[in-house]
Parts: sequence; structure tokens; C-alpha cells
Amino acid sequence: MLVDSLDIDAKAFHAITGWEIKPEGACQGEVCVPLPSGFDLESTADRLGMAIVSDETSGLWAVGPASLTGKALVSATAPELVLNDLAGDEFRLSSLRGKKVVLVAWAPY
Amino acid sequence: MSDPDASKPFIDAANPTHPSLLDPMHQMDALFGVINIPNIVWIDEAGTIVRPAEPGWAPGDDYPDWLRARVDERAAATEAKATEVEASDPELAAKLRGGQDRDSYADAIRDWAAYGKESRFVMNPDQVIAGSPDRPKEKSAAAAHFELANHLWSSGNRDEAIVHFRESHRLQPENWTYKRQAWSLVGNEAAGGGEMGRFNQGPLPGQEEDWPFEGTFTSEAGATPPADYYPKTLTV
Repeated sequence: MLVDSLDIDAKAFHAITGWEIKPEGACQGEVCVPLPSGFDLESTADRLGMAIVSDETSGLWAVGPASLTGKALVSATAPELVLNDLAGDEFRLSSLRGKKVVLVAWAPY
Repeated sequence: MSDPDASKPFIDAANPTHPSLLDPMHQMDALFGVINIPNIVWIDEAGTIVRPAEPGWAPGDDYPDWLRARVDERAAATEAKATEVEASDPELAAKLRGGQDRDSYADAIRDWAAYGKESRFVMNPDQVIAGSPDRPKEKSAAAAHFELANHLWSSGNRDEAIVHFRESHRLQPENWTYKRQAWSLVGNEAAGGGEMGRFNQGPLPGQEEDWPFEGTFTSEAGATPPADYYPKTLTV
């Protein structure tokens, strides 16, 4: 995720990363990681194994995905995926609950 | 490339009944660990992943003639190479003959559709997590560099974007989507765009010195055995 400030709140963090800040910690699916000092972007990213990379040209930071398990998935619960279709309309993966989903990634290169 | 104009002709031609979505910031990598395409993730009715990202294809019978010919041609060349090195390098020969099977993958999906959680291809949650790509913290950094690179490129900061593309390639060399995105953008630029420009994933003849990356599609992806480029994850 790209941010122009490291001072973002828990709600924005959840919206961008899918990790929700709850009393028990940062949670995704059934996985919760305690946050002893509460939420701030840098310490939470560190707890979740999210790298933060800065770019001076744009004045932006990029926060990488969680790596706390050493694997790309921290849980088998499908994360929420929100993407637009060709018409620009938002589509949520969770809208397909109740159906089997074959999620195909391809590129036209 | 994430430009809707690049994918729209293919979607229009296929006229699918399912949703077709654009992923300009490679969320499929960040959320599901997709590091090459085509890749497929299976998700059951409860929203649980039952197979992590893996190489997969539509049935071969659905290929247009020109693509069937290209696939067959490539397979014949690979087999010829395997035969050539079989005696001197049996390990390479096995890798050349390995990889995910294109033509039977859809049968595994059909099995899941028919038998649900009783399908032999369904994995439990621990297997799903273990089967997803490795992601130590430097891979998270690779994803961050790649996101910055895409943003910088799309906002006109070409040279700065290339710095971040190169860093993403260094940190996660096995991520083919990072490489092919960068190769496509620069190759398309060198070719002057056009309908086929983005397929030019390397320098044009005589422009080798201007190519800003260590590899090209031909030198890397084209030289990688199928067993390493599309690892085999199931047998139908």
C-alpha cells in the first residue's frame, strides 16, 4: 500500500491492508497478532513483518504485505479482494460467498 | 500491463459470464502470493482457500488454433532439448519434461466441482498455508518496491521507477510478474507502443546497451525449464 504519511489511523490501515485492529491485536481471519503498545503504522508493520520502503522523489512510502509466517498466506481464510471491473465498478470477492470460486490471475502482456 | 485497453480485447473475445477485474497494483501478489501468470486459487463456499496460487490453464481444447500451434511447437522444442541433454544432464532433462500439466488441470477443477471437500485435490488449511510461496521480510520489501515502481512509472518518473523495479527483482528474483511487468513497460516503450509493443520484453536489436535490467524474457523466462517456471503442484 502507498501512503504519503506514516501517521495513519487503524481504520485506514484496515481498509488498505485487510488487517483489522481489535483489542486483541491486529487480526486477519482467525489470526490475531498482539500489539503491546497499541496501533501505530511503524510498530504494527514491524510486528506483522511488513517492510516499509520510502521514495524521496514522490514523498511516498510503500508498505509491503505481511510476512510474519514466512509464507504468503497467514491463514486459509480468503482475504478480501476489492478490484474494479472494466467499467470501473467495484467488485468484492466476498460477494461470491456461497459459491465455489476459481480465481484466475492472467495478463495480456 | 494493467491498462484496460490491453486486456479488454481478450475479455470481449471470451465474453465470459464471470466477473473480469483489473489488478493494476498486483493485489493478487500481496494477498494471495501470485508470482507468475497464469495462476489459479481455489476458494470454497465458506470463503476458505482450498488450493493456494498455482499454475493452471483452461482446457487445451479451448485454445484457438494459433495458440495450440504455439504450445505444441514449444513442447516439441522442449522435448528435443530434453532428449539432447538426457545422457549428460538427466536432472535438466527431467526439469524440461516436468512442470504443471496444461491439458489436465481443468479436470482437477471439475473433480472439485463434483466432489467438493471430498475431492482429492482439496487441501486442508495447514497445507494451503504451507503451499503458498515463501515470504520472508525481504519479499515484503520487494512488493513495496514494486508498488512504488508502478506508481512512479504511471506518474511519469521513469528512471526512478526503474530503480525500484530493479530492487524488486533483486529481492525476489523468482517473482516473474515483477520482471515481466518491468520488461513489458520498457520493451513497449522501446518498440514505440502499438498492438504488439508490450510483447517485446527485451531490448530491440542494437539497443542492448540501453536495456536497464539484468535479464530479458528470452534470457530468463525463456531459458527456465518448465518444472521451475510452472512448478507441478498436482497430478490428475
